[in-house]
Amino acid sequence: MTQATFNRVLRPLALASLSAALLCAASAKAEEPPIVIGASVSITGALAVDAAYHLHGLQQGLEDANAQGGWLGRKIELKYYDDKSEAGTAVRLYTKLITEDNVDLLIGPYSSGITQAVAPLINKYEKVMIEPEASVPDIYVAGNLWNIQGIAPSFGYLEGVLPLAKSRGAKTVAVLALKSAFSLACDKARLDQVKALDMSLVYDSTYALPQPDFSSLALAIKNAQPDVVVVCSYYPDAVGIAQALQRAGFAPKFLAEAIGPAEDEFTKALGPLANRIISNTSWWASLKTAGNSAFIAHYKATFHQDPDYHAASGYAAIQVLGAALNAVKAIDQAKLHDWLLHNEVQTVQGTFASDPNGAAKKFSQFLFQIQDGTRKLIWPAADAEAPEQVPYTGQ
Amino acid sequence: MLVLQILINGVLLGGMYILLAQGLNLVFGVMGVVNLAHGAIITVAGLFTFWFATRTQLNPLLLLPVVFVAMLAIGAVLQRSLLEPLAGVGRKSELLSLMITFGLSYVLVEFGLDVFGSQYVSLPNLQTTWSVGGLTINEALVAAGVLGAAISGLLQIWLQHTDSGKSLIATSQNRIGAVACGIDVSRMRCIAFAIGSSLAAAAGVLLIMVMPLSAQTADSLTILAFVVVALGGLGDYRGAVLAALLLGIAQSAVGYYAGGDAESVVPYLLFILFMILRPQGLGRAVQAQ
Repeated sequence: MTQATFNRVLRPLALASLSAALLCAASAKAEEPPIVIGASVSITGALAVDAAYHLHGLQQGLEDANAQGGWLGRKIELKYYDDKSEAGTAVRLYTKLITEDNVDLLIGPYSSGITQAVAPLINKYEKVMIEPEASVPDIYVAGNLWNIQGIAPSFGYLEGVLPLAKSRGAKTVAVLALKSAFSLACDKARLDQVKALDMSLVYDSTYALPQPDFSSLALAIKNAQPDVVVVCSYYPDAVGIAQALQRAGFAPKFLAEAIGPAEDEFTKALGPLANRIISNTSWWASLKTAGNSAFIAHYKATFHQDPDYHAASGYAAIQVLGAALNAVKAIDQAKLHDWLLHNEVQTVQGTFASDPNGAAKKFSQFLFQIQDGTRKLIWPAADAEAPEQVPYTGQ
Repeated sequence: MLVLQILINGVLLGGMYILLAQGLNLVFGVMGVVNLAHGAIITVAGLFTFWFATRTQLNPLLLLPVVFVAMLAIGAVLQRSLLEPLAGVGRKSELLSLMITFGLSYVLVEFGLDVFGSQYVSLPNLQTTWSVGGLTINEALVAAGVLGAAISGLLQIWLQHTDSGKSLIATSQNRIGAVACGIDVSRMRCIAFAIGSSLAAAAGVLLIMVMPLSAQTADSLTILAFVVVALGGLGDYRGAVLAALLLGIAQSAVGYYAGGDAESVVPYLLFILFMILRPQGLGRAVQAQ
């Protein structure tokens, strides 16, 4: 065959065949099934309010990832069921997601308690699971190999309070803690911190919920006259203790409570008593983290509300999973797990990085304060929106 | 001064317990049934009060008479439709009634979750604290205590000094005897359940200003109310008052000296001790002396 014949006859044919083959390949790729992420979510039950933010964060993360072309050229879908805020139901649902639905990837449920119940199952089936709502450090130990923490650990709750208070002349501290996994981790860390900062611990106690009355604890705190009261709390006890301190006629210079003050219901329940209470968060709208401003804008447009840190941690989990998958380029659980333990990902809530047991080691905790009805980031100073207001007025 | 403050805190807490327990006690006294929906009625009334007060900006105490009267009607309907049909089934009726109120409790909790959400809520009313001679007394706890005492007083007056009240006591003491005396026992059961439900609802209206409530707190309130009633002697109205005060003072003292963990065990520890040593309850023990 001459060169002229090739150019005239076979070259167009070859080009046409190649184009057809590429089109077929592209078409086949477009028809590939989506990557399915499975999760149980507390749509109903005691945890439903906070878990709704978590779900919205996941959904927004997937919407944004799909808008950028998905992962491995495939669309991504979320398959989720309602665990009714019950650990037993969540275990059953994750079994179903793994064994019946055969989902490709897993995201952890809402709350440390439910995640603790699910963790052994994840190990049994050797599925990597990012857990954006499980702050308890106890989950991330050598025996729970496949669990990866996607939020700042709870021993960092309120960690800025004592240094901040000490810098303002505070010397004496009272520490209260709810008997729950996350709050006891916070309690131990704060008690250690009192010693490390050479401050004086004048009262400490734990309590269990439901606790209809905190007046005796408040009276004991009043008699101890601490400068700082640190409460490793959940929502109802955060409200109850602030009320009880006021009823006892005592306002410490600093009142810091862990979970509760971030919620709008907190200020509704306490009215002026909420003013100047300090609390912690693992995310804030003003932070200059990767994709934060786009996340907030998209979230507001989709859900017509401001995101909170639960939404941010859900969104960050999708960012982390996407980074891992695009690096590994395969849904290979062992390779994904290995990658997640050895790489960092920049997310809306800061730098994701894990220790060898899957515990988050670079996410930070921040402090905010309720100042005249609005919440302002006050610590660390580099990120602060406003200076702290002292003392807590308690009325 | 410290001991006096602990006593005051205990008495005020006891007042709240009286408020929680009297409705349950009345229903048990007359019908022989522990109304397991008692805590759910308290909770739903409290959540409704929150919903009403936050939307209208009106004083939540305005709801107290409205809720009381409305719950009288609802309680009567519930008793007639769910519990009265069981009155004729003999000895099984108490067990069946218990199961029905158990089911009713879950229906009310689910209703509360669907309508009011799962969040804990509380109202910032009655937050004034008075300081008298170094002692601090809070408005919300005083209101709960005063209302608890007022309800107990009115209940006692009604039970001891009115024909319908005496008929109710007669029914609670001896149903066959009451029938023989011409008392309409069925009507008495309806009145007892209606008033018991109203007392629970009134407690809810006030409790939302004292402590955060959510639909899930229903069970713990029922258990707490039952402990007070059992300590006082099941169906013994004066005993329940004494038990509530004893429990409030004991919790206040233990909480102060031993911390929150020990305080939360006190009701159940007293409950076990009484079941072993004084199963007839505090009220009857005191009366016997």
